[in-house]
Amino acid sequence: MDIVLESLAKILFMFLLIMGMVPALIWAERKGAAFIQDRTGPNRASIGGVRLAGLVHPIADVLKLVFKEDVAPAGRHRALYNLAPWLVMAVAVSTYAVIPFGDYLEIGGKRIPLVVADLQVGLLYVLAVASLGTYGIVLGGWASNNKFTFLGGIRATAQMISYEISMGLAIMGLMLIFGTLRLTDIVAGQGGLLFGWLPMWGIVLQPLGFVLFITAVFAETNRNPFDLPEGESEIVAGYHLEYSSLKFALFFMAEYCHMVVGAAMISALYFGGYQIPWLPRPALEAHAGLLLTIAMVATVVVSLLFAVLFLRRVQREKGKFGDARDREPVLGAGLWLVMAAFAAGALVLRPWEIGPAGGSLVATFFQVGAFVGKVVFFAWLFIWVRWTLPRFRYDQLMRLGWKVMLPLGLANLVVTALVIAAVGSGK
Amino acid sequence: MEAFLFWTCGALMVFGGVMMVLQRSAVVAALWLVFAFIAAAGVFAVLSAPFLAIMQVLVYAGAIMVLFLFVIMMLQGPVMEGERRRMALPLWPGAAIPPLAVLVLVGGWLGRNSAGSFPAAPPAGFGSPGHVAAAMLGRYLLAFELISIVLLVAIIGALSLGHRERNQTWS
Repeated sequence: MDIVLESLAKILFMFLLIMGMVPALIWAERKGAAFIQDRTGPNRASIGGVRLAGLVHPIADVLKLVFKEDVAPAGRHRALYNLAPWLVMAVAVSTYAVIPFGDYLEIGGKRIPLVVADLQVGLLYVLAVASLGTYGIVLGGWASNNKFTFLGGIRATAQMISYEISMGLAIMGLMLIFGTLRLTDIVAGQGGLLFGWLPMWGIVLQPLGFVLFITAVFAETNRNPFDLPEGESEIVAGYHLEYSSLKFALFFMAEYCHMVVGAAMISALYFGGYQIPWLPRPALEAHAGLLLTIAMVATVVVSLLFAVLFLRRVQREKGKFGDARDREPVLGAGLWLVMAAFAAGALVLRPWEIGPAGGSLVATFFQVGAFVGKVVFFAWLFIWVRWTLPRFRYDQLMRLGWKVMLPLGLANLVVTALVIAAVGSGK
Repeated sequence: MEAFLFWTCGALMVFGGVMMVLQRSAVVAALWLVFAFIAAAGVFAVLSAPFLAIMQVLVYAGAIMVLFLFVIMMLQGPVMEGERRRMALPLWPGAAIPPLAVLVLVGGWLGRNSAGSFPAAPPAGFGSPGHVAAAMLGRYLLAFELISIVLLVAIIGALSLGHRERNQTWS
């Protein structure tokens, strides 16, 4: 019974992490695009005049998509047309089951591993689920009975098959080094130091493998520069052209879920997952109080800085708009002041000094925080790349996949195997 | 629990196979085949062969069937009128398969050992990647390499055939 409750709690945490990141990413995508293109970005939707720098827009989006009419093409294949968006979404969220988001959580002397399903063949599970993701897209394109959606679906199939091979080859280098297919073992193995000072992260051990993997992940998520299945300028919107309302929302959400999954995989395989460099778990536990004090002091300083910025805006922009928008800087300053007060209160009360178990809790907290931080960074990387690089042409995409990435992946594998045969594996 | 999962997966597999044979549309038939493959992976997983189960999904459902679907769709196009046309002859020999499949399932159910449970637990590490690799690259190395050569010949043959045709049509 305990294991069921634990699993449910872990599933809930992962689910909330994804579902919480999706609207945040949509916001970041719009604001990031605006920043890169030197625009303002979304700034119209508001609640009582408060616009929260565009954060209200995702809420407005959801409301729009829920209440929109669900228009469907007459000649569709009814069952498959309805199934496709759910398939895409199910695949997008089920990869999470094997990605560890922390080492373990110690409650009452019991150690709960922070991964939903610690599969012996976790890496292969990720690849298998990713390969099933093609079906949703290709079926959505085919069942809509439209030439543009069909072309999008066909493009997605060819693209995903081509890049899955490079992805598998890139991961194989890591399998050889760590001698396991279990993701928790791979992340745990990255906690050590190379030559006594370099973190033994995947990117250090497999730099070429990392480049191949991240390229393949971009192709698998259908994000720019590999978003040919959507290619607005060529095939309108590709496979989801004929979808509207909530079915479109599922495709849209699945894309962002895929981004979060991709970011989590990149950080777990090549950036040490929850590992903090030079701060292994025993060190984290031993210096828990010191680390938390530093974190809280930093929070107070940063919050006060932001509060001062907002307070200056309050002074400078008094009555600038002459309407409800004037409340925004006041609210911003208030929120940051509350944040600073909380951190200062924590510094005074020191609630983490709750005995020997406290150190373990703090260590887990920092490790999960490190993992989430890495995921957020790589999710931002997806957005950054999308608004920086132009789209590939289709023949360029195929040439890159088969003539560049595949030979490089094979070479990487052979070199890794030779080095391991000469030096011994990283274990 | 294991026996229940085993028989459920087996039944779903047979159901997928039956549905595949009964479909008129080639695309939908391919999807039912994928369903049957995933159910087969479930059977492998219950029989303590996790590596085989994942490989079944990865290779058959995720790669080979995607290519099948790709080819079917390329040949057929997005037009649905073809779907409604009757498939004439090939349906009839296929109609013999579903009863046979059901027979196999029922036979297996009747022929299970009296306790209705599984035989002795497999040895430790059974079905793990290391175990499979040791068998494949140890005892069955010759067969493994021979199959690889057959596949290589098939790939080269397909390439040479496809290439010649392309020269004629596309230049």
